[in-house]
Amino acid sequence: MPAISTENLTVQYGDYYALENLSVEIEHPSLVVIMGPNGAGKTTFLKALLGLITYSGKIRIFNKPPQEARELIGYLPQRDTINMNVPLRVKDVLLLPLTSRSLSIKKEYVSLAKQNLSRVGMAEHWNSKFGALSGGQQQRVLFARALMTNPKILILDEPFSATDVKTKMSLINMLHQLKKEMTILIVLHDINPMVECTDRVLLLNKKLIAYGQVSEVINEENMAKLYGTHIPVIQRGNVCYVMGGDRHA
Amino acid sequence: MLDILVLRGIIAVFLISAVSATVGSFSIFRGSTFFVSGIAHGALAGAALGIFIALTFFTVDYLVVALLFAILFALAIGYASHRNENVDVAVGIMFAVSMSLAVLFLSMIREYASVAWGLIIGDILLLSQADIEILVVSVTFIVLIFLIFFRKFLYVVFDSESAEASGLHVFRYETLLFILMAVGVVSLLKCVGAILVYALLIIPAAAARRAFPTVEGTIAGAFIIALVSGLFGIGMSFVVNVAPSSMAGLFAAGVYALTLFRK
Ligand SMILES: Nc1ncnc2c1ncn2[C@@H]1O[C@H](COP(=O)(O)OP(=O)(O)O)[C@@H](O)[C@H]1O
Ligand SMILES: [Mg+2]
Repeated sequence: MPAISTENLTVQYGDYYALENLSVEIEHPSLVVIMGPNGAGKTTFLKALLGLITYSGKIRIFNKPPQEARELIGYLPQRDTINMNVPLRVKDVLLLPLTSRSLSIKKEYVSLAKQNLSRVGMAEHWNSKFGALSGGQQQRVLFARALMTNPKILILDEPFSATDVKTKMSLINMLHQLKKEMTILIVLHDINPMVECTDRVLLLNKKLIAYGQVSEVINEENMAKLYGTHIPVIQRGNVCYVMGGDRHA
Repeated sequence: MLDILVLRGIIAVFLISAVSATVGSFSIFRGSTFFVSGIAHGALAGAALGIFIALTFFTVDYLVVALLFAILFALAIGYASHRNENVDVAVGIMFAVSMSLAVLFLSMIREYASVAWGLIIGDILLLSQADIEILVVSVTFIVLIFLIFFRKFLYVVFDSESAEASGLHVFRYETLLFILMAVGVVSLLKCVGAILVYALLIIPAAAARRAFPTVEGTIAGAFIIALVSGLFGIGMSFVVNVAPSSMAGLFAAGVYALTLFRK
């Protein structure tokens, strides 16, 4: 059974089409990277899968509609959706997804939270104030939070937008481990550090541009379709690298 | 011996502090403090309407009408926010509508307008037994709901998208939060007046979040700062003959100013 399948998924904001007729099937378990220019509808796609917005067409998450599949998904939103006026501690950020459902904080929640926090290398920040952490540290905490419900699907919206290279590498290592048993959807602007653990790439610009393995999808023709400009791509064995630098402009 | 009016005033200060700790703190967390002052004016229009109804149609407690009006206001704002309208803009519009209605109703009740004006200033040292009873009931209601839904409210306010994605009905909890704010504001009207509701609901929580920047610290701090401010106001009103709420508001603002100098 595929983890996710969509048929003719279309999302409109007013009379603006953010997504048009998107049909894909995502195998379980696998790691899928979603790429596309700003405003391409990447976040919109994820929100539709999470049942956060109205859409037309069909979505199935393990054969269920999104509203019935919520407990199967862990979600790391883009960081700008979080309200920093709430002076939460790191431990509360981790515990909220579980404790917001019940009246008390159970012991096993706490040990699960501690475990997930050390997985992202933030164990010593258990009692820290979330708002006082750096952007990259906050993203690591949110990453750990997404794991709290033991989801079968992990949805990550630009998780590395504020992390340093070392953090990024350790999180990618974690994804390598997690993808053995989870389906991971991850929105990225730079696929290069992840080409080796990526199973499928989904190129999206309102419509599906391409969907397939890295070596099939990442080429200059598709990059030109996606970004509307020439972007050099180099191939090295089975992997490809997108060169978005000034030397190649 | 303590005068019964003073005793009621002191009880009211305790109850107001509980509203400040709950409604006030969450208004600060949510970043919707303008909502509190907007709703105070909405309640004022409701009170004026209530007096008008009582004069021309049937007897009705004008505070009940004020409460209904404030809740209606809260629901409208909640709906607008749900439809992606900026809350401040929605409050601003409701603010203007309420004030227009308030002026309209006040002009219709002419000689009784002073009753409504009493709600603009309020007087914590003129509370009746019934006023205290209403206050006890509404504050108990507010605190109970906050205790029951505390962590849900936190999740919804902190990260509404993830809360919704995890299956919480964000719209319902946001609306409930707005309603609690409305109840809190209306229950304070007689004590501190529409103008100074903001001073005793928001300033203590704002100061507390700066001084003790955790969720529990803000809530406990807001309670204590509101309590001390209120008691200071009542105390000062005996020393110099001025309205207690003015002194309480200035005291709370002073505490806030101190937190700005810290660090
Ligand atoms: N709630 C909304 N109302 C109206 N337009 C929206 C809304 N959310 C997103 N959009 C628009 O839809 C398009 C796609 O947005 P989004 O999915 O966030 O893009 P991406 O994540 O790929 O950068 C953008 O043009 C954006 O302005
Ligand atoms: Mg996005």
